[in-house]
Amino acid sequence: MRIGTTVCGLTLAAGLAAAGTGAVAWSLEEAAKPYAGTTVDVVFLLRPGYEAAEAMLPEFEEKTGIKVNIVKHPYENALGEQVRDFVAGGDFDIALIDLVWIGNFAENGWIVPIEKFTSNPDLADPELDLDDFFPLVLNAFGGWGDTIYGLPFDNYSGLLFYNECMLKDAGFDRPPETWQEVMDVYGPALTKDGKYAYALQSKRNETQSADSFARFLWPFGGSFLDENFRSNLLSPESQAGLNFRQELMKFMPEGIVSYDHAETVNALAQGDVAFITEWSAFYSTLKNPETSKIADCLKIAPEPKGPAGRKPALGGFSLAVASQADEKEQAAAWLFIQWVTSKENALEYLERGGVPARQSVYQMPGVAEKFDFVPALVESWQEGVPEFRPRFAEWPEITEIVQEWGTKMMLGEVSVEEGARIIGEQMEAVLEKAGYYSGKKPLIQ
Amino acid sequence: MAAAPGTRRAAVIQIALMAAVILFCVFPFYWMVTTSLKTQVLALESPPVWVFEPTLANYRSVLTEDGVGRTLVNSLIVAVSTTALAIALGLPAAYALARFEFRGKKDLWFWFITNRMISPIVLALPLFLIVRKLGMLDSKLTLILIYLTFNLPIVIWICTDQFRSIPVELDEAASLEGASHWRVFRSICLPLAMPGVAVSAIFAFIFSWNELMFALVLTRNAAKTAPAMAVSFMEGYNLPYGKIMATSTLIVIPVLIFALIASRHLVRGLTMGAVK
Amino acid sequence: MSIRARRRTILGFLSPAVLALALIGIAPLLYAFWTSLHFFNLTKLRHVEFIGLENYGTVLGDPVFWEAMGRTFTLLLIALPLQIALGLGIALILHRPGLGFLKTLTRLSLVLPMATTYAVVGLLGQVMFNLKYGVVNQLIGFLGIAPVNWIGDPLNAFAMIIFWDVWQWTPFVALVLLAGLATVPGEVEEAAQLETRNWWTVLRHVQLPFLIPGLVAVLILRTADTLKLFDMVFTLTRGGPGSATELISLMIQRVGFRAFDQGLASAQAIILLIITIILAQAYIRLFYKEV
Repeated sequence: MRIGTTVCGLTLAAGLAAAGTGAVAWSLEEAAKPYAGTTVDVVFLLRPGYEAAEAMLPEFEEKTGIKVNIVKHPYENALGEQVRDFVAGGDFDIALIDLVWIGNFAENGWIVPIEKFTSNPDLADPELDLDDFFPLVLNAFGGWGDTIYGLPFDNYSGLLFYNECMLKDAGFDRPPETWQEVMDVYGPALTKDGKYAYALQSKRNETQSADSFARFLWPFGGSFLDENFRSNLLSPESQAGLNFRQELMKFMPEGIVSYDHAETVNALAQGDVAFITEWSAFYSTLKNPETSKIADCLKIAPEPKGPAGRKPALGGFSLAVASQADEKEQAAAWLFIQWVTSKENALEYLERGGVPARQSVYQMPGVAEKFDFVPALVESWQEGVPEFRPRFAEWPEITEIVQEWGTKMMLGEVSVEEGARIIGEQMEAVLEKAGYYSGKKPLIQ
Repeated sequence: MAAAPGTRRAAVIQIALMAAVILFCVFPFYWMVTTSLKTQVLALESPPVWVFEPTLANYRSVLTEDGVGRTLVNSLIVAVSTTALAIALGLPAAYALARFEFRGKKDLWFWFITNRMISPIVLALPLFLIVRKLGMLDSKLTLILIYLTFNLPIVIWICTDQFRSIPVELDEAASLEGASHWRVFRSICLPLAMPGVAVSAIFAFIFSWNELMFALVLTRNAAKTAPAMAVSFMEGYNLPYGKIMATSTLIVIPVLIFALIASRHLVRGLTMGAVK
Repeated sequence: MSIRARRRTILGFLSPAVLALALIGIAPLLYAFWTSLHFFNLTKLRHVEFIGLENYGTVLGDPVFWEAMGRTFTLLLIALPLQIALGLGIALILHRPGLGFLKTLTRLSLVLPMATTYAVVGLLGQVMFNLKYGVVNQLIGFLGIAPVNWIGDPLNAFAMIIFWDVWQWTPFVALVLLAGLATVPGEVEEAAQLETRNWWTVLRHVQLPFLIPGLVAVLILRTADTLKLFDMVFTLTRGGPGSATELISLMIQRVGFRAFDQGLASAQAIILLIITIILAQAYIRLFYKEV
């Protein structure tokens, strides 16, 4: 096999290769010497994990002489920017990959498998330790098929953020454990006096498919596709989940279909809703008294369970070397990716507001106490579903369909069943065109 | 002479209506500027507060940390250059359309105008791919040239009408004295067409300054314009209303100053073919 | 002057503009046409394939496309009459004699909305029309009206788009019509006003003929600009909630720039362009005697 297929194999290869070079210890400074003065271009989002990395950057640039040129884009533009750049053979040397983009980037050959670098003793840090990444996260964010392309960088799991004070006032001494509890007990008790129990980000953006639609499929036993890649949205389980979401809207603020992450996080931060299900990345925003009125009341738990279990939302970004970069830029890009996601830097990254995917950092003494989201996060990453949203190349087209009809469903412009039927039909048309049904394409998601 | 009661009532109504128009036009600006002077927490206060201690923190932050200043300079360079270029190329064409008879004139005029109507959506991606091939991405020159596609038509449209409103006898008199068409155009017609030139310049400047789609697709860093910058604050994860409004204010102020200076020409130049 | 010299003069005057537009404008248009005949998905450039007019067939039979088109024309049909009625009213007020200072002030204020960056209008709309923090709900609250969910409700969101379009473009209409009124010969107008006190009669029989060219220009420009309208809606609602404010240009942007189906998006864009040209031709044939 040309490419190391398992994470273990890779580490082993890297380890052996490193051992082969003799006694000289590997150091970033040494490794970077040939690439001093190289500039690497990368897209960053305007989110806490990126601010954290940006703040750490001077240290890297000083050590290596490599310049990292950051181009900032809002999430909703980041895919388009990169696709256009890669299509045109542009400047980006590092790809920032949301887990749902990886099939697309990998199939187009825009990114380089990490094996190229991990097998090069001059570039591979002996401390790379791929096994230290949460396996689910490494495979879902960085892997496609049997190949690892990217290292997890900005890592999310869906968590339940709740306002403990509001819950206490209503007589609850613990957060809801199941969605049914939310519907039957917490919802009615907390929706009063202009306050609402829950806000679910549902704007017609990626958030509609990722945070709203998919969140109510999986815990109820539903999914986007069945094993033959036909729509599974009309299955009793999927329908139950989507109907549940529809009914739950009575405990959400008016106009929830115009809520993106910002509005949702803000609703909790302002004390307007009692709990939200949001990405771990928003912890720093909600914990900061300058941006949150409820910083002292903030508590975090894993997402509520559905009939099929927890299956929390999974999302996040990896960094991969772009194949359009020349050899020097590729090496420099790799050194940066390896450094910013390293075990060694995980704690600093965490302290500056990022969420690393390194298991070791969460076992360090004091970390779980200082960052109250850690236990819930670690638990979530044991139970996540990698194909929470299918990660194949067709996702950009499919998410547009889900966004359109998912919001129409919530607005009551179509019934849940009718909406699911339309999404299913249009989704199958996209997959048909892509060649999944004729056997031209393997059924990987 | 004392005004008749009817006239006085009419005057009062007239004043009231004008005040309403002013309020309608100005209030959103007032709100934009005051929001830009609020802290983040204050900007999200419900209900909104009207009286507060203003802060310039948002301006400091967008100008120093986010580099909005540089994008404003880019916008200015692009808008001024493309306006000047559109006037330089458009005026002779407008003069020819106004003064000469030739076959296909109507179609030519219509083709010019059509360029103004093409949705940028049609051209954005093809242009991206072409510009990339030419190695001219993220360049102010690229924007300047592309903005000609909607500025030239506006200049030609407005100025053709202006030239037509100048009595042709003036040209003829000059021609009899031996002046070339070029001289007639430059020394006789152009000065008389200044209101039209001014108005088309205002519009070309406004359209270029405000353009978003091409700026978003074709620039990245070096040539990024201010509107493209303002939109980039719209990340889903927080709502920096104060910063967004500060950037918006900075974007709007230069174009407003320009428009206000030139506005005395607006009425005389905007006849859009009404003059026979 | 000989015919040849004359021709050379005309060419000399016209060619710079013609060449510039041809070089910059036609190439991308041809490229767009070429992609519209292909399966051309940016993320699947290995499978570019000539498919003839299939994309056009898809567009013509796509209800989503026609719904977006319908929405766009609904906006035009509501906003434009409002703009013309209000614009005409403002122009007539400003055309009346007297009150020089206030009139200058009004005229200056009219420039503000027109000059405002369209994307900023949308951002401002988000701030002012927010359900909770928005000043609009506070103001209508003073009138005893309950807070309105502007951005999250389909009908309200559409109303909000209309509001901003009217806010931004009524001044333009007003200024064009004011310019038209200024071209009415003073003596004709005065004579008419001596004959009747009815302003409507004066408007209808004396002033209107002078306003027609301006109105046609407004009609052409507003139609074209509504079909192009993108920035303000994009920053305000992004076409939502649901598809309530997804105008045609937002829809094309979604297909081309988010689903990356550039072939289909090009076909949509070219059909849009054809519709625009037909409309503009019709306006000009019907009303415009110029050129």
